[in-house]
Amino acid sequence: MVKLFKSTRPALKKLGAEEIAVEISELSVYYGKKIVLDNISMVIPKHRITSLIGQSGCGKTTLISSMNRMNDLNKNHRCTGSVIIDGQNIHNKKVNVAKLRTQVGMVFQTPNPFPMSIYDNVAFGLRLQKEIPRRQLDEAVERALKSAVLWDEVKDQLFASAAILSGGQQQRLMIARALALKPKILLLDEPTSALDPLATLHIEELMQSLKKTTTIVMITHNMQQAARLSDYTAFFHQGELVEYADSDKLFTQPKHKQTEDYITGRYG
Amino acid sequence: MVNFSDNSRLNSHISRTFNRELEDLRNAVLVMGGEIEVQFQDALEALLHHDVKLAEKVMLNDVKINAMEVEIDQECLRILATRNPTASDLRLVITVSKMVIELERMGDEIEKIAQFVNSAEFVYSDQLKLGITHMAQDVQTILRDTFNAFARQDLKTTMNIFAQERKVDEKYNELRLQLEQEIQQHVEHIHYWLDVNTLIRSFERIADRCINLCEYLVYLAGGKDLRHNSDKKIQKKIQALLKS
Repeated sequence: MVKLFKSTRPALKKLGAEEIAVEISELSVYYGKKIVLDNISMVIPKHRITSLIGQSGCGKTTLISSMNRMNDLNKNHRCTGSVIIDGQNIHNKKVNVAKLRTQVGMVFQTPNPFPMSIYDNVAFGLRLQKEIPRRQLDEAVERALKSAVLWDEVKDQLFASAAILSGGQQQRLMIARALALKPKILLLDEPTSALDPLATLHIEELMQSLKKTTTIVMITHNMQQAARLSDYTAFFHQGELVEYADSDKLFTQPKHKQTEDYITGRYG
Repeated sequence: MVNFSDNSRLNSHISRTFNRELEDLRNAVLVMGGEIEVQFQDALEALLHHDVKLAEKVMLNDVKINAMEVEIDQECLRILATRNPTASDLRLVITVSKMVIELERMGDEIEKIAQFVNSAEFVYSDQLKLGITHMAQDVQTILRDTFNAFARQDLKTTMNIFAQERKVDEKYNELRLQLEQEIQQHVEHIHYWLDVNTLIRSFERIADRCINLCEYLVYLAGGKDLRHNSDKKIQKKIQALLKS
């Protein structure tokens, strides 16, 4: 039989150990007495884009924050279960959190460049890590800006303030800042919600090329974006993982009524 | 006017993945069309040479056509759900979704031709046989021209196809009259005549479906809906598109 369209996406259940970037098992997160994530178990496939969707307050940001321990900054925070990256439970007290965050980068909803030059913004994390010779630093900054498809637009004004860049460029600068540290996983919290449609498409295209080397986990409120961009999508509701599947499947034949109601805009 | 065969048009989205998906969709229809052409050629050959083995092969191959319809249609559904296409992209996906239905039904008509070969040997007059052969060859030309027009987005050819199909209709009516005469002369073969009627009807239906494909093609190219229009209106609309 002729196969007209080739899907290279393996089913979630068929992923081999080497194809998994993050393995989350029975993860529950509490802020004080309030449970924010309730017994979440899921795997994040390596070198794929995984979208997390759901209403505000359903626990999406808490979940991605659990992947690089940004939740630690909240003193009321407590969690049980495990998040395994590279065979290690990152919630283990012995884990070097600073090192973890270089491997699991994060980009937020609103671009937040530091009040310094474009160059210094990208070099910031590298300089914090260790002292690097100038030439190596130059190369790393150039590489990161090229990976973020920003180099051609800023190469002649590297030492100008990052504030002169447009919203879309600033967001790519934030991605370049994260990429400079060569993260294995990139967490994106609504990375395009403040951008116009064209800038959004450029960021999306960038993500498509980045996934060849980086695992991407993205939160989005834009259903269309999750559908067109991500390989896998997880739908959360009130701290619970309702459905997690191949995006094509989830957006054409969701298994759960809650998912169907949410993606079709029937949520009351 | 949107040039459907122009890859640079399909390749002009910011998202390269979307470019590829649309191109794959277009190519899939061309593959299915190619398969239909081969099936028709085989069925015709089986009919003309009463090759029962070849007819059986045609009948078995129809499963492949059916599977292609389902696969392409599912891909259309997926693209609609995930890409939210607009304008010419939306027309492409919708058109492809409708075209594969036509192609699948063409496959069914071809299967009927093969079934005829399998069930009976010609007992009708040479005149009727010759008439059917000529009609079948005309339909084959229409079929080939339709797929070529689709591959090259050639609206001029679609105008010729509309004219060719009218001639096939005329031939079909002549054959029906001949068939009536044969029935009157050899009424004892009535079951056989019914099969012959189905056979010539199948050829005529394939030509009709080519017309439907041409209508979709014109809609895809310029957004003009030709369905249920008079011949005069159809020619006028295509001319307008060619000038634009």
